[in-house]
Amino acid sequence: MKTKKKNKFIKNNVGFFFVIPWLIGFCVFKAYPFLSSFFYSFTDYNLFKGITKFTLENYANVFMNAAERKSLIITFKYAFMTVPLKLVAALFIAYILNFKIKGVNFFRTAYYIPSILGGSVAIAVLWKALFQDDGLIRTAFAAIGIEMPHFMSNPSWALFMICLLRVWQFGSAMVIFLAALKGVSNDLYEAASIDGAGKWTQFFHITVPLITPVIFYNLVTQLVQAFQEFNGPYIITKGGPLGSTTLMSLLIYNNAFTSYNMGKACAQAWVLFAILMVFTAIAFWSQKHWVYYADEDGR
Amino acid sequence: MANTKTKTLSQAQARIERRRITSVIVRYVILIVVGLIMVYPLIWMVGATFKQNSEIFTTLNPIPKEPTTQGYIDAMKSYGGNINIWRAMLNTYSYVIPEVVLTIISSVLTAYGFARFRFKGHDIMFTAMMAMLFLPQVVLNVPQYLLYNKFGWVGSPFYLALIVPTAFATETYFIFMLIQFLRNIPKDLEEAAAIDGCNTLQTLVRIIVPMLMPAIVSCALFKFMWSSNDFLGPLLYVNTPAKYPATIFVKLSMDADTGFNWNRVLATSLISILPNICVFFAAQNQFVDGISAGGVKG
Amino acid sequence: MKKKVLAVMLSSAMAATVLAGCGSSGSSDTAATTAATEAAAPAATEAATTAATEAAAEAGSGDYENCTLTMDWWGGDSRHEATQKAIDGFKAKYPGIDVQVNFGAWSDWETAKAAEYVSGNNPDVQQTNFDWIGKYDADGTTFLDLNTVSDTFDLTQYDQSVLDICKDSKGGLAGIPVAMTGRTFYWNKATFDQAGIETPKTLADLEAAGATFKDKLGDNYYPLVIGEYDRAILMTYYLQAQYGEPIISPEGNFSYTQDQLKEGIAFIDKLEDEHVIPTEEYILGEGADSMDKSARFINGEYAGIFEWDTAAKKYITALGDNGSNLVVGTPFADMGPKGTGSYQKVSLMFSISAKTEHPHEAALLLNYLLNDPEGVTAMGTERGIPNSKAAYDTLDKAGMIDPMNAEARKAVEDSNPMYWNPLFDDSSLKGDSPALYTDVFDQLSYDQIDEAAAAEALYAGYTAIAPAK
Repeated sequence: MKTKKKNKFIKNNVGFFFVIPWLIGFCVFKAYPFLSSFFYSFTDYNLFKGITKFTLENYANVFMNAAERKSLIITFKYAFMTVPLKLVAALFIAYILNFKIKGVNFFRTAYYIPSILGGSVAIAVLWKALFQDDGLIRTAFAAIGIEMPHFMSNPSWALFMICLLRVWQFGSAMVIFLAALKGVSNDLYEAASIDGAGKWTQFFHITVPLITPVIFYNLVTQLVQAFQEFNGPYIITKGGPLGSTTLMSLLIYNNAFTSYNMGKACAQAWVLFAILMVFTAIAFWSQKHWVYYADEDGR
Repeated sequence: MANTKTKTLSQAQARIERRRITSVIVRYVILIVVGLIMVYPLIWMVGATFKQNSEIFTTLNPIPKEPTTQGYIDAMKSYGGNINIWRAMLNTYSYVIPEVVLTIISSVLTAYGFARFRFKGHDIMFTAMMAMLFLPQVVLNVPQYLLYNKFGWVGSPFYLALIVPTAFATETYFIFMLIQFLRNIPKDLEEAAAIDGCNTLQTLVRIIVPMLMPAIVSCALFKFMWSSNDFLGPLLYVNTPAKYPATIFVKLSMDADTGFNWNRVLATSLISILPNICVFFAAQNQFVDGISAGGVKG
Repeated sequence: MKKKVLAVMLSSAMAATVLAGCGSSGSSDTAATTAATEAAAPAATEAATTAATEAAAEAGSGDYENCTLTMDWWGGDSRHEATQKAIDGFKAKYPGIDVQVNFGAWSDWETAKAAEYVSGNNPDVQQTNFDWIGKYDADGTTFLDLNTVSDTFDLTQYDQSVLDICKDSKGGLAGIPVAMTGRTFYWNKATFDQAGIETPKTLADLEAAGATFKDKLGDNYYPLVIGEYDRAILMTYYLQAQYGEPIISPEGNFSYTQDQLKEGIAFIDKLEDEHVIPTEEYILGEGADSMDKSARFINGEYAGIFEWDTAAKKYITALGDNGSNLVVGTPFADMGPKGTGSYQKVSLMFSISAKTEHPHEAALLLNYLLNDPEGVTAMGTERGIPNSKAAYDTLDKAGMIDPMNAEARKAVEDSNPMYWNPLFDDSSLKGDSPALYTDVFDQLSYDQIDEAAAAEALYAGYTAIAPAK
């Protein structure tokens, strides 16, 4: 009787055994550091001085301190510049590739390569070589008589340069779009062209609505990534000029690992996390209104 | 009358045909121009590695005027006698490969558990897992460091701080991707297997894993790329030059040089990403299938 | 925690005493001290100096345990090679002691080390930065008090005054000051020749050179280029030259008022206005991490730098075939009524971990590297011109002291350098943004704030770590 009960328990919860490794990992490598950073965020924890008091200052400073507020604003700017540009580029190219294009694989590869390499230090090095005053881009445009801005030293262009590094890697989003576009039935287009709808009308009235789940997916993942960008500004501009590329993640890194203000860094990280959660929540909530799922129930 | 009609018809056809051809041309022009912009920096980089330092920034032309292999010869130089680019790359793959294997095993188990079973606490755990997708790594860096240090993993010659966590399904993206993929696999086969007397583990190995293979391959490839590009991890957890991976080595050679030998730096960079490029070309279809199927960040 | 540290300290002190009692090392030790004292006397003869050198080496020998030591340092290629060669020599001389090394470039180095200090993972022997005493050894529990190994490591080779500034708050000697360094000017003579003027000997010369460069050579040519941190140092020179007090006192108090600080800032601002130095915008646009990587410096457009006296080699190498164009300048005597206003600091130190299990062997290693002719010869002047008298004599005799380095060192020493408090390099001030020197001097240069606002920001930053008197 007892063994039977036990067996039944095991049988009902067999899935649990499969997720045990994850559960351990979650508790040890995620939840514990996560919660302890939450705790630290309310303290003035300095790596070398320890904790002397509990405080809400860290959180207040994110919004009150000029440099921190600036970093927050820049991070928003970065995300809202990068994500739309990247998605539009990705969708546009995917749309063109979806016509019966000869050598589609070749193009797809060419567009996709930057996404594979984009995160590496090597590419950050390359970016610097391209955009500095004596770099390729300014030299090339000067040759045809166009004076390009000083990307490395002009605060607004520096951020744009960092954005471009991300936008350049639109390939991954594009491939996802391409797969989605392939799934849109041809009959719909044919019906539409009989009705006399032009290509652009078709695109906006048929294609876009049909692939909204994918647009939505890309939007969320790209936002999450954009808010966490680190390598680019760290290697290319070190956050300058005038702090114009000090994204939140870089600020957090600097606070944590160069000034050792762990409390401050943890609070900033938590604000960043909260922002991400809000955006994700908004995205999930709003999907009801604009995301069209083929199987109605939304899954 | 009939003649005119045919004429206008053929004119209309011709117009449509012309329009079609124009739009085809426009499409190719766009594709080629954008494609060039995409790939040009890389081509230029390859060219620059063969240029004299003085020539690198003077021209758009990727083909060197006076080709030199000095950049590569310099790139081979060992750094302080302890580490060179080959050794650094060997180091990279000595932790990347275990990371990939462990990530795959642990992620498949977890995805299977979540996607195919209900159990006590399923939903809350699933939510917790999904929340981790949005957790910035920066939140965790500091406490993780302190923790790994307690375990004695910092500076470990076996890259324990980098490898061990991957055995516990810490890459949420892959679990998510595998779960998405599993949702599209009908349960019939598993039910049949159960009737044939397979236990759940056997079902996983014999039925699920083969069906999941495309997704598994793309997970493996992505993990491979990300791990070999990772910079912050080795920066914090590896502290012996002889153990430096390629990413740190590239940064090291960039900082260490007096003056700036761009051809050396670019050659070093290029060598360091060569395996990634090769892997990508060898398996690009799997990449594409993988992201299309589950959707993955890139 | 405290108990444990105390135990380590006690046991290491005991170990040192016990070992000192061991036969041979005792006698040679006394000899070393006597000889070194003689050497330190002003009228020391050549013979005595030689004796001291030999004795300094001798002090290291004696009994030791077979063990493995860990050691690390940062630097460039040539420093790595030299240090490794020296360590090989040590291993040959003391078979049974293995030394495992770790080294890298400066960038990100401190980050990794800081993490080690938190976790107590730091190696037995370490190259350390002067300001690390305050940062990581404030309570004296990170680095071993080197007085406890003074029978193994010959401290008498160092001036007491230099050792005194390397003390932690508890009075322990946290590190051996390997060399001193201060900032001076280096000029690219070729560019000044082109402009038809002499390299600047005074501040007035320099200020005049700005206009001359602009007229004769064009807008791209500047007699001097200084980044944000350099600006903070030059401003400090200026203030100290006006008022004669170190910017932060030995007690850790900020010496100036906000108005005085504003004068210093105005001085820097004026240099920029007069085309003496380029704007930060112009400097940053090039994207060079440091001036030795700047094409504009290499091709002579930037004709002067304000750098550590130990740094010449890097810039000469960067100039390549034109290396000989670089000449050493001096801090300006007409900087202000109180002189040059210059300061000098310990360029870097070697420390032993308070947690080491082998303090005696670690001290042996340090003594070999810093005082033993063999080790010293291998190490060369990769870390500047050594403070150790024995090392200096060895290198001097072997003709290994780079004349340019020596000239720059002399320029700084002759400029009557002041005391310098490491709080000046606090992480809230120095480093990448958000750090005040970068932020304030960039904003000032970009005309985003005026001199008054810059002074206010800097004053607040200074007084936050070093209260006003």
